[in-house]
Amino acid sequence: MSSAWITTRAWLLMLPLLIVMIAIVGWPMVDTVRLSFTDTRLVGTSGEYVGLANYAKLLTGNAFLGALRTTAVFAVFSVAAEMTLGVLAALLLDQQFRGRSFVRALMILPWALPTVVNAMLWRLIYNPEYGALNSLLTQLGILSEYRSWLGEPGTALWAIVAADCWKNFPLVALIALAALQAVPRDIKAAAVVDGAGAFARFRFVLWPYLAGPLTIALVLRTIEAFKVFDIIWVMTRGGPVNSTRTLSILVYQEAFSFQRAGSGASLALIVTLIVTVFAGFYIALMRRSGSRA
Amino acid sequence: MSTLEIAAVTKRFGAIDTLKGIDIVLENGEFLVLLGPSGCGKSTLLNIIAGLLEPSGGDILIDGRSMRKVHPKNRDIAMVFQSYALYPNLSVARNIGFGLEMRKVPKAEREEAVRRAAEILQIEPLLARKPAELSGGQRQRVAIGRALVRDPKVFLFDEPLSNLDAKLRTEMRTELKRLHQKLKATIVYVTHDQVEAMTLATRIAVMREGRVEQIGTPREIYDHPASLYVASFMGSPPMNLLEGRVSANGDSFEAEGGSCFIPIPAASRSTLGPGRPVIAGIKPEHLAPARSDTRSTLSMDVEVVELTGAETLVIGRTGGQTLVASVKPDDAPAIGTPFALTAPADHVRWFDPDSGKAFPA
Ligand SMILES: Nc1ncnc2c1ncn2[C@@H]1O[C@H](COP(=O)(O)OP(=O)(O)OP(=O)(O)O)[C@@H](O)[C@H]1O
Ligand SMILES: [Mg+2]
Repeated sequence: MSSAWITTRAWLLMLPLLIVMIAIVGWPMVDTVRLSFTDTRLVGTSGEYVGLANYAKLLTGNAFLGALRTTAVFAVFSVAAEMTLGVLAALLLDQQFRGRSFVRALMILPWALPTVVNAMLWRLIYNPEYGALNSLLTQLGILSEYRSWLGEPGTALWAIVAADCWKNFPLVALIALAALQAVPRDIKAAAVVDGAGAFARFRFVLWPYLAGPLTIALVLRTIEAFKVFDIIWVMTRGGPVNSTRTLSILVYQEAFSFQRAGSGASLALIVTLIVTVFAGFYIALMRRSGSRA
Repeated sequence: MSTLEIAAVTKRFGAIDTLKGIDIVLENGEFLVLLGPSGCGKSTLLNIIAGLLEPSGGDILIDGRSMRKVHPKNRDIAMVFQSYALYPNLSVARNIGFGLEMRKVPKAEREEAVRRAAEILQIEPLLARKPAELSGGQRQRVAIGRALVRDPKVFLFDEPLSNLDAKLRTEMRTELKRLHQKLKATIVYVTHDQVEAMTLATRIAVMREGRVEQIGTPREIYDHPASLYVASFMGSPPMNLLEGRVSANGDSFEAEGGSCFIPIPAASRSTLGPGRPVIAGIKPEHLAPARSDTRSTLSMDVEVVELTGAETLVIGRTGGQTLVASVKPDDAPAIGTPFALTAPADHVRWFDPDSGKAFPA
């Protein structure tokens, strides 16, 4: 069989998939690019060509920069907290103790919940009148009066970060646990005999096995966090006073609340560009670990 | 004072008794090999000596000091693992010096110790490399180097050569022997390879299901196995074990099937007794072709002839029982012919078929 035929056949076999991909991803992308150069509104007349006006307005306006900052804060803190908590949980679950498999199964639960359900749960917890957090903190004497965690610009974003972290740290924990279980028992024993303390054991014995999987988890979680929409939409809709308005929320508001399809499209493309940079980073990482193996 | 004392050590895992009371005393400079089949508890015992496992009963004493509740790092032992257990992202030099680094030994002193160990093991050119860039034999050397720098009271080895190919294994075996003679180190070494045990040990403890079946020098174990179990474990091929009984007048052994006659030395006649069922143990190398002028004592039907180099193994049957003889290549018979052999009576060992124990010689 000639190699040309093998190549042709490969393309033939992939053709149906490619057609579907182009239909549901490719074409809308192209159309979004076209839209972003117009002042099209969601309903009504088709818009006029306006060149780079949408981009210029966005990149110089406060809304975009504010949303970018909010998104970055959300991504950095939620991902950092998830990674830390996840690794700590994995270290605990890697120990021998009674009921370990039960705790392992239990820990997956938050991650298995649909985001919307998780967001609703946390709205209840944060509720200013009967929320569990308020009653807990006042009973402990940390707080003197109930607060509206999601209603104050100073706390809303952090409240969402906590809720997001709660949902997503189990994924990191699971990945880290799998990596920890791959650490050879003999190396752990050798470190004990060598007199390595807890920190040295983590640094020299566990870390070499954790680093690769955690980097992948880090990049994937960062991409996800940059795209965050649903948890915020359910909990605060970007408020109060736009304090939780991330890029995806802004895209939605532009395109659907304010019905500015053209300007929404240009914003969406910018978000896509940012995420693509992260994705490119991820692919480079995969390539590197692939060529090492 | 003994360097290492294993005193009535037992270990239970759940409902299973893995070690059922081990007592061994080791003097300074001894090379003890724990020999036994898979699952007999060798690694468990070694891990208890190292302090990686706690015994369910009994105690470990190093230089007369009880090791109960003493952390592995404070036991003055060093351990070499089957899988080498090198730290993957540290250089060879740092791997070797890691134990010293963790014990806060000053850098200059540490480097000197690493250099000395590397010199002994001839791995100086490798010091800057990472473990992934080494061959199996080199990794094993690094693992040994890591133990060496510590200059411990007792070295513990858990099947350190079993991941190497046959040629490298033989080389490393010789090297370990040389190292032991040079350093006068006290070593406990686990293996299930009886050749390794024979060549390395000053003493062998043959283990069986959590007990020490026999302990002694390699010669003692090899020449005077205390039981059928030990006899069938030592030597390759192992001792022939022929079932039969003492003749009615008590002066000879008759194998089942009758094609065999071995005189019983006068000294053994009283312990064996006429008509008693016994098992005769004869090493393959003690079976020699019968010359025409001597009365043959054994005859076998030859089924297989195996050339192994210096010796030829002749495998066949005598009265329904399998027999292996190791003879010079020139003496090898043709397949399918009867082959007459003699066995020197003073080299035959006698076993009680009921208890499996050897009769006192
Ligand atoms: N942590 C453990 N929990 C339960 N059983 C164990 C544990 N460690 C060992 N055992 C059991 O104890 C027995 C002895 O194990 P050990 O590892 O000491 O055998 P070994 O003689 O070293 O065998 P091998 O030659 O295969 O290494 C085995 O039956 C094993 O299943
Ligand atoms: Mg073992």
